[in-house]
Amino acid sequence: MDAPAYEPKIIGFLCNWCSYRGADTAGMARMKYPPNVKIIRVPCSGRISPELVLRSFREGADGVMVLGCHIGDCHYSTGNHRTAKRMPILKNLLEYAGIEPERLYINWVSAAEGEKFSVVIKEFTETIRALPPFVEVMK
Amino acid sequence: MIEYRNVLTTCPYCGTGCALHLQVLDGSLVGTLPAKGHPISQGSLCIKGWNAHAFVNHKDRLKTPLIRKDGKLVEATWEEALTLIADKLNTIKAESGPDSIAFLSSAKCTNEENYLLQKFARAVIGTNNVDHCARL
Amino acid sequence: MSDRLNALRQAVLQVLPEVDGVLALKRGPAGIAAPYLFTKEKPEELEQLVLWPKEPVPDTAKIILKAHPDAKLAFVCRGCEERGIVEMFKHAQVNLDRLTLIGLQCVQEEAEFCRCAKPYTVHAQTIVGQPIKGVSDPLTEKIAAMSQAEKLEFWKKEFEHCIKCYGCRNICPQCFCNICALEDEIWVQTGRLPMPNPSMYHLVRAMHMTAKCVACRECEETCPADIPMAVHFRLIARDVQEMFNYEPGAVLDQKPPQLLVLEEGDYTRTGLPH
Repeated sequence: MDAPAYEPKIIGFLCNWCSYRGADTAGMARMKYPPNVKIIRVPCSGRISPELVLRSFREGADGVMVLGCHIGDCHYSTGNHRTAKRMPILKNLLEYAGIEPERLYINWVSAAEGEKFSVVIKEFTETIRALPPFVEVMK
Repeated sequence: MIEYRNVLTTCPYCGTGCALHLQVLDGSLVGTLPAKGHPISQGSLCIKGWNAHAFVNHKDRLKTPLIRKDGKLVEATWEEALTLIADKLNTIKAESGPDSIAFLSSAKCTNEENYLLQKFARAVIGTNNVDHCARL
Repeated sequence: MSDRLNALRQAVLQVLPEVDGVLALKRGPAGIAAPYLFTKEKPEELEQLVLWPKEPVPDTAKIILKAHPDAKLAFVCRGCEERGIVEMFKHAQVNLDRLTLIGLQCVQEEAEFCRCAKPYTVHAQTIVGQPIKGVSDPLTEKIAAMSQAEKLEFWKKEFEHCIKCYGCRNICPQCFCNICALEDEIWVQTGRLPMPNPSMYHLVRAMHMTAKCVACRECEETCPADIPMAVHFRLIARDVQEMFNYEPGAVLDQKPPQLLVLEEGDYTRTGLPH
């Protein structure tokens, strides 16, 4: 009997006002996308500290997504500016530490962009599926 | 006039004997700095060494001996405490023999203090039951 | 070396009558040096002034200034220590109005020991010694050039030796948070050694050092396990320079990027989608 195929486990941090509603839009239009992303709703993408992302990896997540509002559309006006400053540095740090930087994904999805949401999930799942499982990397 | 200086001393915890500087500002202890250039510690400290200054002025630190009277611990003088200890040790030695008493020393004490303790155990009490706190 | 020491002594003697004290290195028992506040009441103590090793002066400065906010003090500081004080000023930890900086320039051996790119001061009013050019950092280059698998292996081996003494955080001039994230059980598990892979402690610390690390290398010098963690901080500092055009401690009135709203220009350099 074959071992079960590797199904990546991805944690998605979605901001309440834009990307989470974008996920709702995708759901209401019955768009299909892979079930690998476990969504965690936060008030703003600026809430996502590097500690949260690193802890997700330590617990065995194969990939982490941070989706926020478009720049200029943040419900708290400059919350996503913090995301935009923090996350690229964290991506580079992952690379310096020997972890594939592609495992961390940042994008902006508004409440109306249901289609974009499902495309983003599909593409990221495939990106992570092509990489080895994170627990293997960490052995 | 402001007075700030660093006092070189040895860490009181384990037997390694790392050197550290105690930061003293206007006569009170404010922090710890490692001692660069010291042959043993070479500018590093473990977490106990880094916090070695914390117990000195801690609010929980005992300032007087405490004796249990009627089930409660009350403050006492050194005279009272030492008299009580001497009386009790003499009583136990008379009733149950010298080997019913054991002595545990510590790496936190100086060599001289440990020598005194084992001398007290052997010459005064008359027992060989001397051991070290790490064996607790 | 002794010419530089004499020059420093002269510079300190000149400043001494005008201030409440000069913070510099004093030779102690067994020749071990430590920071000391020289005062005008006892100028003969300057006989024991020394230059090396480098000590974390900015931290000490903060302790004295907190207790005596109205004191006028002078500090003998090298390039990195000066950057440390300026960066602390930007984060409202010290007040530069009542501080005089005596800039001690590093010599070639000292710069190479620290792999320092800027072994000179830029803000100090008094200069002691000749400023020299910075040297390259072969260790950072070597690690940055490793492949991904090599890096993973390298850092796994290095972080395995960490004993969580918290020395790197205690000695860092930029670590002044009253409630430190590294002491939070959620991020850094207590009682767990060796560290898990990836090491939460070191990567969280590297992120918190973004746009704050002044490359003084005190962390590496105090590490009992000789872990070269400053390599991460320097690589991040390079990214901060590229993305936000900011160098900690360099320009006095440039605000750190954490405090600013993102400008259009900064945004395009982060590599994020528009």
